[in-house]
Formats: sequence, structure tokens, C-alpha cells
Amino acid sequence: MKPESFRTPRRRLLSDRIARGLVSGGGMATIAGILGILFFIFIEILPLFGSADVALTARFPLDGEEPGAVVVDEHRTHAATFAADGQIVVRSLATGDVTHRLDSGIDPTLGPWKRIQQIPGEPRVAIETAGGDLFALTMDWTIEFDEATRVITPDLSRAVPFDFFDEETARIPLQQFSLAFDDDGAIAGAAITEDGRLLFARQSIEEDFMSGEETTVWERTWREAPGDVSSLLLDRQHTNIFAGTESGAVIWWVIDDGEPQEPRTAENEAPITAMTFLIGDQSLITGDVTGRLGVWFPVPSEGGGDRLGRIRGSTQQKAPIVGLSPSPRDKGVLSVDASGGMALYYSTSNRLLWSGNSPVGASSVLYYAPKANGAIVAGADELALLDIDNPHPEIGWNALFGRVWYEGYDQPERVWQSTGGTDVFEPKLSLTPLIVGTFKGTFYSLILAIPLAVLGAMYTSQFMHPRLRRTVKPTVELMAALPSVVLGFLAGLWLAPRLEMVLPALVAMLVIVPAFVLLAGVGWRSLPNGYRHRFPDGFEALLQLFVIAIAMFVAFRLNGVFEAQVFAGDVRQWLFDTTGLRYDQRNAIVVGLAMGFAVIPIIFSIAEDAFSNVPQNLVSGSLALGANRWQTVTRVVLPTASPGIFSAIMIGFGRAIGETMIVLMATGNTPLMDWSPFNGFRTLSANIAVEIPEAPHSGTLYRVLFLAAALLFVFTFVANTGAELIRQRLRKRYAQL
Amino acid sequence: MVLKANKPKRRSAQDRLSDAATSLCSAALAMNLLMVIALLAVLGYNGLSYFWQRPLVEMHLAGSEVVLGEIHERKPTVDAEAHRVRIKTGNRDVTGSDFRWIDERDIESKSRPESAMVFERMEYGNFYGTIDSLHREDETLVHGDQAWPALQRMLKQKRGEKKSIHRLEKREMGKLNHRIERLRIGILRSDDPGLREQKRVLEAEFEELSQQLFSLRDTYAAEYLVMKTGDGIDHRVPVGDIVRAIPANRQSVLDKAGLYVSRVVEFVVDDPRESNTEGGIFPALFGTVMMVFIMSFAVAPLGVLAALYLREYAKQGLLVRIVRVAVNNLAGVPSIVYGVFGLGFFVYFIGDGIDRMFFSEVLPTPTWGTGGILWGSLTLALLTVPVVIVATEEGLAAVPRIVREGSLALGATKFETTWRVVLPASAPGILTGMILAMSRAAGEVAPLMIVGMVKLAPSLPIDGNYPFVHLERKFMHLGFHIYDVGFQSPNVEAAKPLVFATALLLIVVVTFMNLGAIAVRNRLRRKYATSAV
Repeated sequence: MKPESFRTPRRRLLSDRIARGLVSGGGMATIAGILGILFFIFIEILPLFGSADVALTARFPLDGEEPGAVVVDEHRTHAATFAADGQIVVRSLATGDVTHRLDSGIDPTLGPWKRIQQIPGEPRVAIETAGGDLFALTMDWTIEFDEATRVITPDLSRAVPFDFFDEETARIPLQQFSLAFDDDGAIAGAAITEDGRLLFARQSIEEDFMSGEETTVWERTWREAPGDVSSLLLDRQHTNIFAGTESGAVIWWVIDDGEPQEPRTAENEAPITAMTFLIGDQSLITGDVTGRLGVWFPVPSEGGGDRLGRIRGSTQQKAPIVGLSPSPRDKGVLSVDASGGMALYYSTSNRLLWSGNSPVGASSVLYYAPKANGAIVAGADELALLDIDNPHPEIGWNALFGRVWYEGYDQPERVWQSTGGTDVFEPKLSLTPLIVGTFKGTFYSLILAIPLAVLGAMYTSQFMHPRLRRTVKPTVELMAALPSVVLGFLAGLWLAPRLEMVLPALVAMLVIVPAFVLLAGVGWRSLPNGYRHRFPDGFEALLQLFVIAIAMFVAFRLNGVFEAQVFAGDVRQWLFDTTGLRYDQRNAIVVGLAMGFAVIPIIFSIAEDAFSNVPQNLVSGSLALGANRWQTVTRVVLPTASPGIFSAIMIGFGRAIGETMIVLMATGNTPLMDWSPFNGFRTLSANIAVEIPEAPHSGTLYRVLFLAAALLFVFTFVANTGAELIRQRLRKRYAQL
Repeated sequence: MVLKANKPKRRSAQDRLSDAATSLCSAALAMNLLMVIALLAVLGYNGLSYFWQRPLVEMHLAGSEVVLGEIHERKPTVDAEAHRVRIKTGNRDVTGSDFRWIDERDIESKSRPESAMVFERMEYGNFYGTIDSLHREDETLVHGDQAWPALQRMLKQKRGEKKSIHRLEKREMGKLNHRIERLRIGILRSDDPGLREQKRVLEAEFEELSQQLFSLRDTYAAEYLVMKTGDGIDHRVPVGDIVRAIPANRQSVLDKAGLYVSRVVEFVVDDPRESNTEGGIFPALFGTVMMVFIMSFAVAPLGVLAALYLREYAKQGLLVRIVRVAVNNLAGVPSIVYGVFGLGFFVYFIGDGIDRMFFSEVLPTPTWGTGGILWGSLTLALLTVPVVIVATEEGLAAVPRIVREGSLALGATKFETTWRVVLPASAPGILTGMILAMSRAAGEVAPLMIVGMVKLAPSLPIDGNYPFVHLERKFMHLGFHIYDVGFQSPNVEAAKPLVFATALLLIVVVTFMNLGAIAVRNRLRRKYATSAV
């Protein structure tokens, strides 16, 4: 034997080295990839909890205009200022140069403009001349494309006059006024006159059917009003007038049939200095002298009817609020106070997203850009363009898990309703109904699955002949392979309609089936021993199969009788009368049955393994000491196997939590927060499946759905790890046996 | 001492209670088995009966209305006094609905007319009626009794015509279309006049073929039947519209069996019609199989490598234990979480990146930045990797240390030991894991709903156009088919039998895979069983 042949050829050593590198690299990469999933999901969630950022982009000097209002186009290329000398100047926001000077169409002989008011949330301005004439102007922009470059030109509408007073009445100077355009373009206005009265005027255009002639019809109504009104607002639906007073009251008139009704007053505790509406004109925002913001909308009052309730507020700013501008895309509002401070507040989630200082100081002239991505503020001699980065204002801890008082609701509630039909919809993103739904589905399915699976496993492992066990175990394991789509389909389309009709039979089954089973058991045991021993142990299970089938058949046959006797002929009506619960066709019972079916094989396999792993000497010892089979199983085997049973249940629990298809197909998918077994629910997983295809990439809903996925992961992680830990610990405890 | 034989013990109350409890336990197990049997029975019955042709029944109702159709269901009436039947009357283009409920008390007479026919059509579902005459444009060809044999001959001829139309449309024009599209993208990229010229030439060719197609279609549509519905109304049915003409009441058992088999074959091999409520499920089957295939390619190396690394090459310490726990946990994570990850990472991040780099001319229409079969397969691969890792690890662990050490002692390197001794011995475990993964993937719908499945894909991911395998295309899937047709189709009642058949097929496929896994595992266990040393 030559020494050389003992040395391993280089090639083999090299391939070994390469293999090591490949396997290690590939293995680590795979594992990193799998763990990276969690990392990726958590990264997608993080931006949800960030704040907004408001940054100064540009500032330009004005030549002595002192604008009373400013409007910017949606691409933030031009800004139009409205000044008291009647000048409407359009500037480019890239260079600051004046690009257009527009003619308002208002007769200059009427005098300089005494008041210039921005209509909240719209590119419209209401102007009062020195002579007391009122006009409304709309600033529009036309967009054209000249060889792939965008050209934006201002398009000012003709000034629309608004007459609070008709020809006969003498004009009284107006202390406050507010104009509003509704969706059809009709104008209405509310005003407080200097002699202390409220005036509501509405203009409508009537078309004569015959001649097609259009006539303008005015309705004007008067009411009494307090004298110290500091701000006045009419909403765009022309149904509510709000007034803020210097004594700290907020007064609300409902307009019914063209006439303001009895006012309702609410207290703010500090004089009101500014008011605006949030988008949609459902919520009123007030700013007061202490710097507080308040959010108000109608809520039910004790004596019936509605009152104006202060829902929530912000207390960040310390100086009186001088300017407010609502976001045109969401329920946020920019506020400026007398010390030059500025803040961005979001109503629904009650979050102060940003606070800082206005670059032009304490000016009330500000305008939130149409795409909610910026704002323009104008001081006496300066114009500043701001960039607003506000990706997820709707999210806060309270918005996700707590009760929120949404617009139009009677009280704070937890609601999931991510989209509505309109632009002004308030997204309701509480995850609590979904979490409750998830656990509800899990609960009802485990109620069915645990007894059937554990008892069945116990029987299979302890009482059954090994030969029979060899057929039963794989059958149940095959059950585990059934795709949940099929289960969901059968549950939703086959089981649900039939269940509705045999509900009484189902209740009867709870009594009839055990009765038949026990009788059959007694019957089986009273057979002479000779007969019985012909069949293998565990044959009783097969016998019970027929017995249960017969019992169920009997129960279904008696369904009508049972329904008539016990449920007064109509089980659904009886249910409603007794408990007030409604019965939906696709409900938690159906899901419980289907999901229970899906979970049973998992619990069964693991539990059966646990039972079978109990050392045989324990069983033999117990039997030798005189216990019968049942006592042995319940008092010796069951406690010993309990770690395994427990872990089986936990793993079944984890599986039930994440089940998507069955829930999707067998429930009504309504996000209710209700434990009744007779109505549907929506789980986290089904919600993700339904909503994520439509969720805009990187939007709030998208990230919230990622958050839901992360929650699901956490739940299953806790369940699985808990199961594993307990199993290891209890296994050590019983290991010495 | 004399030992007396014990008398058989009397059953005490204790024993009786125990017996009762045991009975209940056995009933629990029986309940499980009953549920499985019931499920398979319902599925089997409803699924298999979908293909069986029921006899056509003609009913004369009180009020001189005549109804012709197949009886599908019989239920007690709402007031529980009598029964009502659900009849499939078809003729959706005449009456607007496929089914009718008829109270049995309203039926004056029932019969099974010999001349009644049912047509399976391309559009508007089945047609039930009797043949009046056969026409070609304005000319009447045959009448009455001679119409049926003439129709049979004509149907054969139509099949040939349909094939040529299909070939012209799908293959030749489809190919041209594909080339034109690629030229269009090329022009967007480089604006080459040569390409423009080519495109013009191809477009002219396409026009020519379109004209050919139109004239073929005209001849195809020329012949039509005038049928009489149950009520005696005349209705025109183009012969080209008829997929199958069945004289249901004249068929012998052999005929019916032949029809049954032909329908089953059509189910598996044909394309769907009538928005997925009729026809076959071939694209869904193909999509499922192809996706499982691609997924296995991805999962096998990843899973085996990771398991090998964990068990053989990594230093066994706390870190590896944590990793193992993490992998075990991931096996239990809900599939929708993987779907969400697949959407966010594969589709929106990687897909979008690929689009920006290679397909920017076509943007904003996404090519890879939207769901597709590749992303779906990769998402499912991630879903099933933990299963494969766990199964492989168990397989590796089952190989006795002695065998490994023996191999090393004989001078093999670690790699050679692994490759030639350990891996083959653990092949049963690996294969089990793979087949479990594949059967799980065949049945998972939730993640795919988000990452690439659609209700109707216009073309298969593999076709005759370069590059032949289109991994960015959306695909159809059996499981999603069940969900979509069962819950989101406009005509759920008409579609339900088809869904039962699809569900049955899916279960059969999954069961076969699992049984195959068990069989392979048993065989390999015996083949590679290393005798205990």
C-alpha cells in the first residue's frame, strides 16, 4: 500500500468545499428569506405611525397688495391673490413673477373691497364692496398640453352678485355674512345684520316647463340673533347655519323648508375667533381665543332631537386662532394663531400631526392646496408656498383600536368601513371588529372541533384494535388535506340554505343523538359475549356510525313537529321574540361547522399521537390494579397525554385563526362586533383578502391591511410557540415515567 | 390453598357509567367519519350527476301553459301542503331565466315526448325544444322528421368549419398580433423606420386574414334551425351555435353512457364558455398544474438546502434552535400573510422594478408589476418551504448516525457522504415533504387571489408565441374557479353543478397526490431501509 493512495485527491476535497459553501449559503439565504418576510411586513407598517411634515418650499414678495384671499391650482404652479383694491393678481410659483392680472368684472365704481372672504374648502371668494354689494367669484384653472408640457391658465368666473336685500327693503349693514354654493351651483347666504338679526337668503333658478325661460327666485327669511356674533358659516347643503359668539357660545340654526328654525346653543367656554367646516361640511371647526380648536357636529340629546356636541379638540396652540383652512381631501385642518404659530390637526384620529410657525406670521389668509399636498399662506407683503407630506393622518392608536365618534354617529363606536361611495367619506379603520370576528369564528369552530377530535382520538388510540386504527388514522389525515375552498363552498352554498330549514332538528339532535348512542351502547353490551367477540375492539365506533345516521334521520323527520311544538311554528321568529337576535343564513354556526371540520384532523392527529405515546406499562399497571378501561384512560392516560393534547388544541387554534377561504364563503362578511352565533362576522384574514386588491399601493388602507397581517402572524406565533413551550415543559415533567 | 376461579364480575354502576362514556367517545369518532363520508357523498353525487343527462319532461300546466325541461329538484312547498319541482327550462334568450319552480298541483299532465331535444350552445345556455325545420339563409332545406339526421351530418361539417375558424383566429391571427405588438414596443423604444415598415406590412396581412375570417364566419352562421319551444313559439338557433344536440328521450343506456363519458372528457379538456358557467375547466387545470410545477422547482432546492444546512452543516447551538423554532412557526402562519408579502414584495417591489428597468415604454400598464403566474408560484413556494424543511429535517434525522460515521470512516468526504448516503436514505422524507407541499399548493386559494389569479385568463401561460413561456401572465386556478363561479358569477344556480364537479376534481387530484405521497414513502422506506446496526 503506497502512502500516496492515502491522500484524498484534490478534486474531491474541492467539491466538498464547494458543497459546504453552497449548502451553507443556500441554506442561510433561504432561512434569511423566510425571516425576511416578517421584516418586510413590519417595514411596511412603520410609516403608519409617523407624523406629517410641513416644509417651506418658496417665498415671494408681494408689492403692497395685502391680499384678503389666496387660491392655488392643483399642480401648485400658480397662485392668485385677491386684494382690497380690486386687484386679482396671478403669480407663477416657480419664479414669483406676475403672469396675469385678472378682471373681476365687478364695477370699480362700487368702491374698494371692504371684505374678502374665502368660502371654506373651495376656490371661491365672497367679496363685499364699500357700498355693501356682495359678489361671489370662482377661480378655475384650465390645463392644456403643449408637446408634453403642461400649460395652466387661470380662468376666473364672472362675478355673481348676491343680494341679501330685495329692491324694496332698505339695506342694513352686515356684521357677518357667509355664502355657500351647493352641488347644483345655487347660492345661498346667511348674514347677521348690525341691528342684531339673522338673515337667510337663497337664490334658485326656476325653469318654466313650457317656455324654457329661466327666472331667478329669491327666498329671504329673518330671525332674531344675538349681537356678539364673531363668525358665521352656512354649509354647502344649505341646511345649517352656525354662529360663533364673543361670549363663547356656538349657535346652530337648522334650515327647514327655507327657514331657519329655533336656534340651539352650545357652550365653548371661550370666545370664538374663527370657524370653518371640514370637508363634506358635516363637522364644524371652531378656533377660540385660548388657541383651542373644537370639532362639533349634531348628536342626539336627552330630550329627543339633536344638539350640537363638542366631539373633540386640540389644545396645542396658545394664542387666539386667526385663520383656518380645511384639507380638501381628508378630515384635516390647518390653523394659524395670533402669535404666528401654525398647526396641522386631523379630526377623526384626534392627532396633532404637525406644529410649527407660519413663514408669514399671524396672517389669516391661507389656502390648503387641492391635492392636500401643500398650502399657500399670504402675509401683508409676502407669499409663501408650503409642502405638506401627510401620508397617514387617519391612523392613531385610538383610531385603530378604540372608540371613535364618527360624523353622523350617535356615540363613539368601533367601526370598520374602509371606503364609501363619495369623496368626502370618513374612513373608519378600527381593527377591533375584525379581531372580535376572528376570535368569534375560532371560538365556534373549536367548540365543535375539540370534543370531537380529542374524544375521537382518545377512542382511536385507547379503545380501538390496531388493525382498525390503521385504516381510521389515514382517513382522518386525508381529511386534513381537503382544500378549504371546497369546505367553504359546501358550507356557503349547500349547508347554509339547508341549515336554515332544519334548525329545530339541529337542536333536537343534541338530545336525540346522545340518547340513541347510549341506547345502542347498552344494546351492544347486552349482546352475548360470543357475538361481541367476533368483532374487533372498536367495532362499536362503526356501529355508532349507523346509529348516529339513524338518529339524525329521525331528528330531521321530526323537524316540523319539533318546530311546531317547541318554537311555536317558526324558529326564526321565536328566536327574535325571545332573544332579539336575528338569524342570517350565513352565520357563525355554519362557519363553526365548516371550520371545525377543517381543524378536527389537525387536533386529532396530534392528540392521537400524544395518547399513543403514553407508555404502555402505565396502562397495564392501572388495569392490573383493578381499574376498568375507562377509568384507566381518564385518570392515567389523559393526564399523561395532556401536554400533547394541549399543544394539539393550540395548533388547531392557530390554524382556525388564519383560515380565510371558509370565512370568506360561509359568512356574510359583515364586520359586526357581536358574539351571536346567528349572524355573520368578518375576520382579519378575510378582510385582507377582500380589500387588499383594491387598496392603493402604499396608502393608509394598504398599510393597515399589512398591520392586520402582522397581527395574524403575532396571534399564530403566540399560539404555536406557547404550544411548543408547554409541550416541552410538560414533557420533561412526565419524562421520568 | 385452593384457588377458586373467579366468577365473572357483576357490572357495577361505575362500570355502567364507564360504558356509557365509552359509547359517547366512540360516537365522537363515528361523527368524524360520518362527516367525511357525508362530505364526499354530497360532493360525489352532485359532482358526478352533473354529467348525466336527465330525461326531458313536458308538462301541461293549468292555464294551458306548456313547459319543457329537465327536473332538477323537488321540495315541499312553502306552506308544506304539496311539493314543487325546479325545472331547468333553459332558453335564456327567450325567457330570461334558466330555472322555474312549478307547484305540482298546477301540473295537469306530464309526458316524455320522443322528439324533444336539448341543445348545448355556445351562448345563452341550453335550449329545449323540438325541431321544426332546417334552413340555409332563406332556403328551407329539410322539414320535420328528416331534419334530425340532416342536422347530425351538418353538425359534423360545422365542427370542421369551427376548427378552421379557430385555427385562423387563434393561431395565425394570434401569431401576427403578437408580432405586431412586439414591433409596437420596439417602435416605442427606438422609433426605427424599418420597424414601422414591418409593422405596416404585418398589419396589412392581418387585415387580409380578418376578411378571410369574416367570410368564414358568414358561411358558418348561414345555417340555422327553426325550433319550437315548449309553448310552441318559433325560435331560430344557428347551427354553428350548437355544441351538442341531444335527443334525450330517444337515447339508449349505451348512448347515455357515451354522452356521459364525452361530457367528462369535455370538462377536463375544453375551455370554459358562458362566463365560466359551462364548458370545461382546462385553463384552470392547466394553470394549477403549471403553478404547482414551477413552485416545486423553487421549493425543492431551497427547502432541501436549508434543511441540510440546519442539520448537517450548521453549528448546533442556540441560534440554530431559534431558527428551527422560527421555521416551525412559519409553517403555521396563515397563508394570507404570505399572500400579502407576495403582493408587497414580489409584485409591487420587484415587479415594479423590473418594469421600470426593462418595460418602461409600456408603463403605466404593468407587465411584471402586477399579479402573474411567476409571482403566484414564488409566493406559494415561500408558503410551503417550511413544510419541506421540516419534513426533510425529519428525514435526515431518521438516518442513523452510524451510517454516516461508517461512510466517513471509509474515507468519503462530507459532501460525498451527504450526496450518496444520507440524501438517498432520507429521500422518503424529502419526497413526502414535496408532495405535501404540492398538494397544499393545489388547494390554496387565498394568497393567489391577491397575487395573480383571475376569473378568466385570455390565454394560457404557455403558447406558441415567442418566448413560449409567459410567466408574467395571469392564470386560472381550480380553487379560485370554485370561489369565483360559486360566489361571484351572475348566475349561481346555473353554475352550481359545474362547481360541484370542479370541487370533486380538485379533491380527487389532492387525494391522489396524498395517497401517492404515502405510497412513495412506504416504498422508499422499504427500499432504502437501513438495517439497524
